[in-house]
Amino acid sequence: MVHDVQLHRRQVIQSLIALSAVGGVAACGGAQESSNGQVAGQAAPGFFNASEMALIAAVAQTIIPMTDTAGAVQADVPVTLQNLATDWGDTEFQQYWRSGLAALDAALTTDAGDGFTSLSPSEREAALAAYDAQVFAGTVEDGFYRDFKATVVQAYYMSEPGATEELAYEPVPGEFIGCVPLSDFPRTWAT
Amino acid sequence: MSGGWVAKEMCEQGFKVAVIERGRKVTVEKDYTDFVDPWDVEHLNRKTDKDRKDYPIQSNVYAFQSFTKQFWVKDNDHPYETADDTSFIWYRGYHEGGRSIMWGRQSYRMSEIDFEANARDGHGVDWPVRYDDIKPWYDYVERFAGISGSMEGLDILPDGVFQPPHDLTCAELDFKASVEESFPGRRVIPGRVANLTEPTQEQMELGRGRCQARNHCFQGCSFGAYFSSNSATLPAARRTGNMTLISETAVHKVIVDEATGRATGVETVDIASGESKVITARVVFLNAGTIPSTMILLNSANGNAPNGLANSSGMLGKNMMDHHSGARGTAILPGNLDRHTFGRRPNGFYIPRFRNHTEEAEGFVRGFGYQGGATRERWWTSMGKPGVGADFKAAGRNPGPWRIGMVAFGEVLPNEQNHVRMHANKTDQWGFPVPVLDVRWGDNERNMVRQAIRDTRAMLEAAGGIDIETDDPETAEPAPPGIGIHEMGTARMGRDPATSVLNSWNQSWDIPNLFVTDGSFMTSGGCQNPSLTYMAFSARAANHAAELMKEGAL
Repeated sequence: MVHDVQLHRRQVIQSLIALSAVGGVAACGGAQESSNGQVAGQAAPGFFNASEMALIAAVAQTIIPMTDTAGAVQADVPVTLQNLATDWGDTEFQQYWRSGLAALDAALTTDAGDGFTSLSPSEREAALAAYDAQVFAGTVEDGFYRDFKATVVQAYYMSEPGATEELAYEPVPGEFIGCVPLSDFPRTWAT
Repeated sequence: MSGGWVAKEMCEQGFKVAVIERGRKVTVEKDYTDFVDPWDVEHLNRKTDKDRKDYPIQSNVYAFQSFTKQFWVKDNDHPYETADDTSFIWYRGYHEGGRSIMWGRQSYRMSEIDFEANARDGHGVDWPVRYDDIKPWYDYVERFAGISGSMEGLDILPDGVFQPPHDLTCAELDFKASVEESFPGRRVIPGRVANLTEPTQEQMELGRGRCQARNHCFQGCSFGAYFSSNSATLPAARRTGNMTLISETAVHKVIVDEATGRATGVETVDIASGESKVITARVVFLNAGTIPSTMILLNSANGNAPNGLANSSGMLGKNMMDHHSGARGTAILPGNLDRHTFGRRPNGFYIPRFRNHTEEAEGFVRGFGYQGGATRERWWTSMGKPGVGADFKAAGRNPGPWRIGMVAFGEVLPNEQNHVRMHANKTDQWGFPVPVLDVRWGDNERNMVRQAIRDTRAMLEAAGGIDIETDDPETAEPAPPGIGIHEMGTARMGRDPATSVLNSWNQSWDIPNLFVTDGSFMTSGGCQNPSLTYMAFSARAANHAAELMKEGAL
């Protein structure tokens, strides 16, 4: 049963991939494509300055690191956040993020005064894991960090690597089956 | 929705039909966005300030996304008002196909119980038809449109001509078992939806294909796999060669020859140029949607009809109904953690009405049905979870527990107080009078939604639901008028010209060659999604008009 589904699915996708590609590009082209083309590390021009972009990239990559699939930076999460703040956010959103990032930077600075972006990946994970635990345990109140994390996670799972490699993505499933063994489709669906 | 049917039937009967559409033409290439991938969606699909400014009302509808704005009106261009301390949320789109592009596709027949309801409890006036009059037309429109559903043998929700139903999910099957065991007489069935699961030859010849389980219907479907005027009825009308689609042209008035008492055509306005033009016709069908059709008739007042055309009864604009929705409930359904789903079902489950049917009710007449679904939670729950790093990321790969969500749709009683009228002096940029909606829900609606909340909670508890969340049954109010998006009743059909606008053939009592077959004709609303009923009555009325025309009566 499931084998047929995969066979059928592959045929459906092959026959539609051209249409899908054309449709996808035609439906929405423009800025989204060009900004993906940039190397994630470079500071995409926009509202956030270089140091804010560095902090965003460091914290986002610590939340969702590179594993057998892309991490937040490889998935262009910092660029997506820059576009969000620059093209979509109003001044209230921008101020909230600027002050929030400054406070987060301070909160993640070590007792020895080392900034988060200067730490090694393992030092970053230790520092952020501790802070995250305090926030979610309620011992530290940081609404901004919760919003930051939610936006990073959303931007990641809506990115192409996030949706298609980390999770499972079927643009054209071909049919609906209400009850299949999890072992056949173990990953969460991206959409 | 209904206009496409009239065009198809009349064209197929050999008559020339002018379909006058106030909106633009719609094409798959230009307007449909059903191949948008998540990473193509701008700004994480968040609404912009400009959206909220241009679409203060429409931007709140379930199907308003950054990539479906093209199907919703800019509210500021189409003003309407509501009477003091009332509210009415009017969701709409003005383009070829209208709301048949964005509808939820739920398709249920009204039953004998519904057609007898007014006569039995005295609200409104008796329907002039019964189920057997409409049954052949339900068969007819279901076969052409293509409805997926299961045969259940229920008197409250008659079976139809169905293509294979969608699966219920594993959690829904367990939910069904516990509900039907704990509450004998209730049924949890696959939703009946206008998506093709086994297209017929007729459907394929119109270029329609099988539903691909993408659940992108609100974006327009390039496979034509769900019913809309654009995918089915208009192509069928067009291929006869008898249809002329006149778009970006709005009907301002129906013109009547006061000597003969017959409609002679309509006065239209070109949306772009504002130029006025008359289009003549032997017969006029109004299918603009309940409120727009009513406004056209009110605006067509003349010497013999001072209160609006076809309004000798004074009922035009009155008895406005919708379906009140509410009693939302959600919970986690334990178990089935080794199971999953494949594909995205453009549908859910349905629980047909049981109150005032197989079970008693207190404080209200008539009843409600439920729509819902239970699937595994997905990645968005990670947005609010503790943890960072590889373990946090790995945990996000696994589907979460099964979450059920359900909502009730309840019947609204016909009530003369609930009405739409023309604003005394305000008009929009094309000179149309601004509608004023004066609609309030009463005790029947309030008591019904509160009972529905108690029933929602009881069913979720019976199914072993945890983290159950529902509204408060003691204080909840029904959702405001308009939220059901099923405006009905303001040109009701009846048995007596003194208390109804239309006869049993959707034909105006006053103007014999004037018909109305959108939601305005509904004498009562039932609790089922009404679009299928509009389609059946439209096909029936069009064929009746064609007979009268062939006999020379019209």
